[in-house]
Amino acid sequence: MEDQVSASPDKSTSNKPRITWSDSYSKAHVAIEALASILPGLPLALSSSETPAASLLQDREVAAQISQLFRRPDSGTVNDNLCAWLYDTFRSSEPDLQLVVLRFLPTLAGVYLSRAGLHKPLPGFESVLLAIYAHETAARNGQAITVSIPDLAHSSIYHETKQTAKNSSTELHLGVVSPSLEPYGTVRSTRRARIVGVALELYYSKISQIPIGSKIEFCEFCKIWSGQEDENKGDGASTTEDSQKVEKKEGRGGRIILPWEILQPILRILGHCLMAPQKNKELFQAAFSACRCLHARALHDINAKTILATGSLVKLAEMATDPSAAVDYTEITMSNVITI
Amino acid sequence: MSERGLGLDMAEGESSNLSQPECDASVRQFSANGISMQTSEVEAKLDEGNIQEAESALRDGLSLNFEEARALLGKLEYQRGNLEGALLVFDGIDLQATIQRVQHPLEDKPPSKKGRTRSETSFAVSQHSTNLVLEAIYLKAKSLQKLGKLTEAAQECKSVLDAVEKIFVDGIPDVLVDNKLQETISHAVELLPELWKKAGCYSEAMSAYRRALLSQWNIDNECCARIQKAFAVFLLYSGVDFCAPSLSVQIDGSYIPRNNLEEAILLLMILIRKAYLGKIKWDPSVIDHLTSAISLCGQTSVLAKQLEEVMPGVIHRTDRWKTMALSFSGSGQKRSALDLLKKSLNQHEAPNDVESLLLAAKICSEDVLLAADGVKYAQRAIANANESKAHLKGVGLRMLGLCLGKQAKVSSSDFERSRLQSEALKSLDSAVALECHNPDLIFELGILYAEHRNLDAALRCAKQYLDRTGGSMIRGWRLLALVLSAQQRFSEAEVVTDAALDETSKWDQGPLLRMKAKLKISQSLHMDAVETYRYLLALVQAQKKSYGPLGSSPQEEHEKVDECEVWHGLASLYASLSRWKDAEICLGKARALKHYSAETLHTEGKNSNFLRYKKTMKVSVMVSQLTSISVYSFCCYLEIVFYYKYPRVSDIPEFLKVLLHFLRKRLESSELFSWKWYCRSIREASGMDVKELAELNLRELVGLDFWELLSPNTMLALGGREAAGMDVKE
Repeated sequence: MEDQVSASPDKSTSNKPRITWSDSYSKAHVAIEALASILPGLPLALSSSETPAASLLQDREVAAQISQLFRRPDSGTVNDNLCAWLYDTFRSSEPDLQLVVLRFLPTLAGVYLSRAGLHKPLPGFESVLLAIYAHETAARNGQAITVSIPDLAHSSIYHETKQTAKNSSTELHLGVVSPSLEPYGTVRSTRRARIVGVALELYYSKISQIPIGSKIEFCEFCKIWSGQEDENKGDGASTTEDSQKVEKKEGRGGRIILPWEILQPILRILGHCLMAPQKNKELFQAAFSACRCLHARALHDINAKTILATGSLVKLAEMATDPSAAVDYTEITMSNVITI
Repeated sequence: MSERGLGLDMAEGESSNLSQPECDASVRQFSANGISMQTSEVEAKLDEGNIQEAESALRDGLSLNFEEARALLGKLEYQRGNLEGALLVFDGIDLQATIQRVQHPLEDKPPSKKGRTRSETSFAVSQHSTNLVLEAIYLKAKSLQKLGKLTEAAQECKSVLDAVEKIFVDGIPDVLVDNKLQETISHAVELLPELWKKAGCYSEAMSAYRRALLSQWNIDNECCARIQKAFAVFLLYSGVDFCAPSLSVQIDGSYIPRNNLEEAILLLMILIRKAYLGKIKWDPSVIDHLTSAISLCGQTSVLAKQLEEVMPGVIHRTDRWKTMALSFSGSGQKRSALDLLKKSLNQHEAPNDVESLLLAAKICSEDVLLAADGVKYAQRAIANANESKAHLKGVGLRMLGLCLGKQAKVSSSDFERSRLQSEALKSLDSAVALECHNPDLIFELGILYAEHRNLDAALRCAKQYLDRTGGSMIRGWRLLALVLSAQQRFSEAEVVTDAALDETSKWDQGPLLRMKAKLKISQSLHMDAVETYRYLLALVQAQKKSYGPLGSSPQEEHEKVDECEVWHGLASLYASLSRWKDAEICLGKARALKHYSAETLHTEGKNSNFLRYKKTMKVSVMVSQLTSISVYSFCCYLEIVFYYKYPRVSDIPEFLKVLLHFLRKRLESSELFSWKWYCRSIREASGMDVKELAELNLRELVGLDFWELLSPNTMLALGGREAAGMDVKE
């Protein structure tokens, strides 16, 4: 192990691809060493970790520091070392390290979208987003992801009566979950939403491995993007204060244009945050609040599709908080007469 | 104890149970083999940790065998919430051996063709002991679950199902199964996927769900529905992509979902169908999950169909109408949506629902003929935007502004028109005060200003919109370029157009290129315009061959450049350069695409000599009469009359009447052209000062549709109204 660590700097200088059993391990260490020069204080435990990529992914201290750096007014420019680090780390094509980069996507996209304009170039942020976009384009071979909506007139594996369809002339409904991808070398402003949206699609596809903290940050940004106040603050009052702080920092209220190409992955991510198998109360509240804000926004935009999508999530979240819904049907009937 | 003996005992026990109505249900007691026994003594032994003693007390008291006694003890401990204790008791049972013992009589069983009586008895006997064992393992799994040992719990639960599958090789028969055994099986089937899921073993959970739903467990409808729903929810939100069900489960021709979303939607639809057939209770969350899933794929019309199937009384009708209206509206079927909204906004239903009112106003704001209705909806929405809906007041004002602006276009008098327009401006202004962060409002205000001929204000709005959206909306770029061109600042407009082209991917560039070509023409850069047109033509033809990137709709759905229009523009351009041959070729192409196009015939006519022009125009007029809406051809005919000093000036008043009629109705697209000839005809007829008239009529002109307005021809004319007047004069 020790040898591998000490040998790793050499590897980073020589570009020859050498695949060894500990390749991913050493790559992760290279990444951590590079990060140490960027962050004000890298936790010591990281550099001695047995599973460096996983530790990096889960480390809260690192997350807090990176988030701070992102929010600095001069972040995302050409000389942003952090963006360069994210770019290199993502391009290492180590799945574990790519996951680390994706973990920071909410904050990156959040700061980027609130700031992106015509007057201030943000090539640092854009390089990372384009790298993710290019990765997804290559992985999908540019193909669209479609869904053919089932038609109950045809028998299916879950039909109870297994009869063959008599009427086969029903219309096919092809839903497009993600349109096909064209390669982009730069971020053209009219395609910005699509590029960020595709990055969020990749985030969603890995979401079961992403730490909760990242998802909560994402929910907070959704609230800011919506430009709406959550009317039903409840116990999430402290988080709202935080988001207001961010809002002031970002200026312009942080409200952004939310075309479907960016809203669709957002809604999939929020659906997961609300109803994933592993429940987390804080995440649930953050996502619930984000859904309410996005629903209010949809009502302001009078966008029917978005009203439906956000409205159903809000209703589902309300139902989930209803205690009477929690009946355990797998419990045996308890009675005072115990028989066999 | 032999199994047969046990069976007889049990039968006795059941009958004696019935004969003991006095047994006190408030005291916890054991009951087996017809004997009852209070639990207190056994509980005390268990509390002391003497499992053996408790067991023998039970065996003696109720004449049970070892396994039966252990099973009873385990159940007691489980019910008392003493889970660790239950586990200790259950550990004493050798489950595998018992399963094997149970399996044997069934394997020896003769095929079902032969007499059933013997096998039925042995079935009942073995089923009793099977349940004894399986319930014990099941409770072990439940105990482990409650102790948070989820993976172990899942293993135990799985062994229940494995055993059941071994025992009933051909699936569980409908009628032959003992109720209690069936209950245990159903519980285990439902619990297993939940355990894997909670343990974070997602692919095991997925297999467990499919196993539950695709094998014959003979579970009841409600239980099956719960599993189907839980599976659908798992597929939708777990965030993990699973492989499709294997082909081995396919029954010929049946539909197999290919991915999570398809499988989840299928399950949810089946659940709705079951509720509709009365097989299961209605679960309101099912429709919300389906709404969420289907709107993610953008196929909301399917949702409307599903809602139509739901039985009346399950969802309140106004809610159903509203959701269906949203679904139709989401899939572009605006008229159906509006019809449903009218129903739900009826005074006997929910007349004050702000969200429905706003949606209705929005739909109306897109159609000149509905705009007046839209104004009323918007006003009602504003009046009802109170309390929790107060934040929607600004939206109401915005819709009011848009509807008024639209209504102004069809108003019959100048006075009415300017009144509506200023009211529209007023409500948009107050909407801006409430929603200062909404850039769409700025855009709409910009359009309204442009229509109101306030180009400076329009320019300000266009710039602001472009800035606030970070240049991400193509329509922002276009508005800016068009307002600039209306101010005769052609080169600046071109710079903006070029910048917009830089920020747009090739596939979306059509409308921008068309605008660029027209800007070149207005700067008399004809050769550059030809070049741009060529480029545009290549794009349009490429788009014709392929549908482009699948699913990515252009940002502006109304805007697709028509190939015929490009050929026609190129032909006019060549004609103005006196390159007749080229113009002829282009016209040929245009004609091949649209045989009877008034525009093409017009250009064709102008290119040839007068007589042929007259002839083609006659055809054109005829075509127009066939389609009954083309003012264009009448204008062309007027053109003939004036340009070529065609003697039949007496026809003019007749034409004017028709022309004015059509223009008032706004049924013709080439309005500028029409107005030009309208002005000219009047001048010819009355000798009025045409400049004044042009001014007057151009003011009418600006009441065009928004997308109409964004056509460079019109905007150029707006900018150069003097020029337009001069043009008419010359």
